[in-house]
Amino acid sequence: MTDASPEQDAAADGGHEVAHGGDDHGHDFPGTGSIKRWFVTTNHKDVGILYVVTSLFFLVLGGVLAWLMRVQLLAPRALGEGILAPVAYNQAVSAHGLLMVFWFLSPFAFGFANYVVPLQLGAKDLAFPRLNALSYWLYLFSGILFGVSFFQGGTFSGGWTMYAPLNVPTFTPDVGASTAVLALVLFVASVTVSSVNFLTTMHRMRAEGLTLRNLPLFSWTILLTAWMMLFAFAALLAALLVLSSDRLLGTTYFAMESPAGALLWTHLFWFFGHPEVYIVFFPALGVMAEVFQTFTGRRIVGRKWFILAMVLVAIQSFAVWMHHMFLTSINLQVKTLFMITTIGISLPFDLMVFALIYTMLKGKIRFTTPFLFVFGALLLFIIGGITGVFLGAVVLDYEFRGTYWVVAHFHYVMVGGVTALVGGLYYWFPKMTGRMYDEFLGKLHFAVYFVGFNLLYFPLFVAWETPRRVFDYAPELAPWHQLATVGGFVLGLSFLIMFYNLFKSAFVGDPAPDNPWEYATTAEWAVPSPPPLENFDGTPTYRDGHLEFLDAGEVAPSEDRSSGPTGAAVSDGGVTASATTAVSSALPTAEATEVEGPSHASIWPFVLSAGAFLVLLGLSPLQDAAFPEGMVGAAYATTAVAGGVVTLGSLVAMGLEPFHGPVFEEGEAWPFAGIDNGKVGMWIFLASDVVLFGGFIGAYVFTRVAFGWTGWEPIPSDPIPGLVNTYILLTSSFTVVLALVAAEKKHKWGLVTSLGATFVLGIGFLVNKGLEWQHLFHEGLWLSTNVRASTFFLTTGLHAAHVIAGLVVALYLTARAWRGAYLEDSRSVEYFGLYWHFVDIVWLFLFPLFYIL
Amino acid sequence: MVSTKLYTAIYAVLFVSATVQVLVEFAGLSYWLAFGVIMVLSAAKAVLVAAYFQHLRFEPRSLTYLVGIGLVAALALTLAASYSLL
Repeated sequence: MTDASPEQDAAADGGHEVAHGGDDHGHDFPGTGSIKRWFVTTNHKDVGILYVVTSLFFLVLGGVLAWLMRVQLLAPRALGEGILAPVAYNQAVSAHGLLMVFWFLSPFAFGFANYVVPLQLGAKDLAFPRLNALSYWLYLFSGILFGVSFFQGGTFSGGWTMYAPLNVPTFTPDVGASTAVLALVLFVASVTVSSVNFLTTMHRMRAEGLTLRNLPLFSWTILLTAWMMLFAFAALLAALLVLSSDRLLGTTYFAMESPAGALLWTHLFWFFGHPEVYIVFFPALGVMAEVFQTFTGRRIVGRKWFILAMVLVAIQSFAVWMHHMFLTSINLQVKTLFMITTIGISLPFDLMVFALIYTMLKGKIRFTTPFLFVFGALLLFIIGGITGVFLGAVVLDYEFRGTYWVVAHFHYVMVGGVTALVGGLYYWFPKMTGRMYDEFLGKLHFAVYFVGFNLLYFPLFVAWETPRRVFDYAPELAPWHQLATVGGFVLGLSFLIMFYNLFKSAFVGDPAPDNPWEYATTAEWAVPSPPPLENFDGTPTYRDGHLEFLDAGEVAPSEDRSSGPTGAAVSDGGVTASATTAVSSALPTAEATEVEGPSHASIWPFVLSAGAFLVLLGLSPLQDAAFPEGMVGAAYATTAVAGGVVTLGSLVAMGLEPFHGPVFEEGEAWPFAGIDNGKVGMWIFLASDVVLFGGFIGAYVFTRVAFGWTGWEPIPSDPIPGLVNTYILLTSSFTVVLALVAAEKKHKWGLVTSLGATFVLGIGFLVNKGLEWQHLFHEGLWLSTNVRASTFFLTTGLHAAHVIAGLVVALYLTARAWRGAYLEDSRSVEYFGLYWHFVDIVWLFLFPLFYIL
Repeated sequence: MVSTKLYTAIYAVLFVSATVQVLVEFAGLSYWLAFGVIMVLSAAKAVLVAAYFQHLRFEPRSLTYLVGIGLVAALALTLAASYSLL
C-alpha cells in the first residue's frame, strides 16, 4: 500500500500553485474542541500535536518497561528470581528498546517538525496534507499493533537489534514476535510517507528569499533527517520484509543453515541502524541550536560550518555501519576501513560542539527552562560522544562489546537527545498552546531530571562489566545497579512534574504573546500563538532580507532573487523574521475568492491506516505460508481479508475525494525549481524504492557470494518464461508511454485503450509468472527448499507485488479515463508511468540475475 | 518532448537487446565475460527507459542525481557487504 498511495494522492493533493489571499475556508472543519476534528484533520499543526501527545504515551510505556528491568536488576538474579520471568525480561528489554527508538524518539521530534517546519519555511501546510495525516495514523496503528503483540503469546524477545538467527520462529516462536516485526513494517511505511512529504515540502515550498543557506537550523536538521530516513528506512524495510517472509512464509534467509544468514541481518540492519542514530539525534541538535541562539541572544558561531558539518555527518553516516560488527566474521581490512570512517565521523561533531560552546561564551545566557535542558543535553552528549569513540576502535570494541559500557554510552547519546527535545517541548509549548508554562516547575523538572539521568546512567559506566541483556551479574557490582535503579525512578518520576505543569498550563497558564522569547528570530515567532489555521495572512517573503507578508496582489516574482544577508541584526539564517506584517491585507482579491480554498479534513488516512492494521494483524499467525488450523486461523484470515477490503476501498475513496493542497507561490525551490510537487514526491519515493530493491538484490548477491558465486545455479532451469515476461513488461511500458501521448493530445479513446492494454499486459505478466511458479512447485521447489529458492521466490515476488500495486492504479486510471478524466490534466497518468517504468527497470536486472547468470 | 516514432524505435531496441541478452548466455563465452556483457546490456536498457520513457533526459538534472544517490546507496551496501565476506 505504500506503493500505491503516493501516486493516488499526488494527483489530487499537490501542485495547486495558485496565488491566493489567506482566508480560512474552515466552514465544515470542526474546532479543536471537537473530537471529530482530531480524526479528520490534515493540518500540519494538528498533526504535530497528535505526534507529540502520542509519542509521550509511548515514552511512558517504554519507561514502565525500563522500570521493570531496573527492579529486576536490583540484585544479580538466578533464573526465576525477581519480578520478571526470564522470557518476560527479554521481552521487556526488546520492547523497551524498540518502543523508545522507533515509537517515541523520532515521532516526538517529528511532532515539532510537523508543527514548526512549515512555519519556518513560510508554507501554509506540508505539500501533501493527507499523506501527512496518513503518516500519523500509520504510526499510531503500528504502535497499537506492537501493543497487541504482548497478548499473542508474548512480544518479540530477541533484543531491539533483532539479530539472526534469534529472530526466526525456531527461537522466537510466539505469534506476538511476528506481530512486532509487522508493526515495524507498518511504522516504516509511515516514515517513508513522511520523508517523501517533508522532502518535497522543504525543497519546493520555501518562501521567496529563503534559500537553503538561510534556512533556520531546526529546519536544516529536519531536512537532513528526512533525507537519511528516506534511504535508511528503505534498507530497514528490506530487512524487515525479508524477516517477515522468513517468519510467515518460511523462506530461509536468516536460518542457521543458510550461508552467512546471521551476518546478512547485521549488514541490512546496521546499514539502517547507524544512520538511525543521527536520525534520532539530529532533530535534538536542531533544537539545541535554536534554543542556544534564542537564549544567548547570539547567532550561532560558524553557522555555515555548522551546517556543513551536519551535511558531512549525514553523508558519512551511511559509511560507518560495520563498526557495529567488529566481533563478527567480517575481514580485518574492512574492519580497519570502518574504524577509520568511524573516527572520521566524530570530527564534524567536535566542530558542532565547539560552535555551541563558543556561542554561549560570546552571548549572554538566560537560564530559562528550555535553555537548561539543551545545555544539559550538550553536556550529556559530550560524555556520550567521547565514550562512543572507545567503541569505534576495533581493539577496544573486542573488550567492550556486549557490556554495559555500550548500554551506558548509547543512553547518554539517545537520552541526551531526548533531553534537548524536552527543552524543545518547553520552548515551543507557548506557540503550540498559546499559554505559558510555569517556569519554576520547569526548572524543578530539569533539576530532578538531570540528577535522575546521571544517577541512572553514570553507574552503568562504572559497572560496565555487566553483560548486556542479562539479569545476572557479578555480585560486587550490585551497589552500582541499585544506584542506577534509584536514578531510573527519579528520572521517570521527574516527568510527572512536566506532565502536571504542561497539562495545567495548557488550560490556565498565562496567555502567550506571539513571541514570548526575546531574540527568537525564526518565523514561527512572527505569527500569533497558536498560529491561525493557514499560518500567515498573505504570502510570506524574505525578498528584502527579512520576513514580510504580501497580499495576493503583490506576489509578482521578484527580479532580485539574490537577497542574501546584508549584515545587520541577523540572528539565524541571515534573515530576520521580525513581524513586519504591515503590508498584509486580510481581504482576498476578487479572483482569489473564486479559487476553491485549501482543504483541511479527510477521514480516509485514518480508515486506510485502520485497514492496514487489520491486514497485518490478520497475517501475523502465518507460518510456512499457512494459517493455524481451526477457528483461530479462520478468524485471523477473515481479519486480513476485511482489512484488505478496507485498505483498497479507502485508497479509492481518497483518490476520488476532492481535496485541495495548500496554495503557494513558488519561491525558493532549489534543486527542484519548476518541477511539480507531485512529480518531485514521486521521484523521491522511487529513490527510496531503489534502496528497497537494492536491499533485496544486495541480500541475494551477498548470500550468493557466501555460498560461492559460480556454484549457485539459477532456480528456473529455462530462461524463456522470464524472457517472455521481459517482453511483456517492455511492451506495457511502451503502452504507458502511448497513454501519456494520447492524454496530452486529448485523445480519450487512445488513452483508454493504452491504459487498458497496460492493464491486460500486467495481468499477462502475472499469469505467466503464476504458471512458471506452478511448474516449479510441481518440481518440488518451494520457498523453504533452500536459500537459492528463497531468494528467487521472494525477490521476484516483491517485484510481482509492485506489479500488482501498479495494476490496481492502472485499473483506477482506466476507469476514470473512461469517464473522461486526464485529458485536461494528464499528470496522474505521467506519475503512474514513472512508477510503472521503474518496475520495468527493476525487472531488467532481476531477469538476468535470477534467470541467466 | 519526443515523437511517438522515437518512442517506438526505443521500444524496438529494448526488445531486441532483451533477446540478445539471452543469446549471449548460449554463445559459449566464458562465465565472467558473459556476466559483464549481460549486466552492461541490462544497464543500457535501464538507462534508455529512464532517459526517454521516464523522460529524465528532459527534466532538471537534480532528479537524475536523486535517483543516482539511491543507486549509490544500494551499491555501497551490496558491494561493501559482499566484500566483507572475502
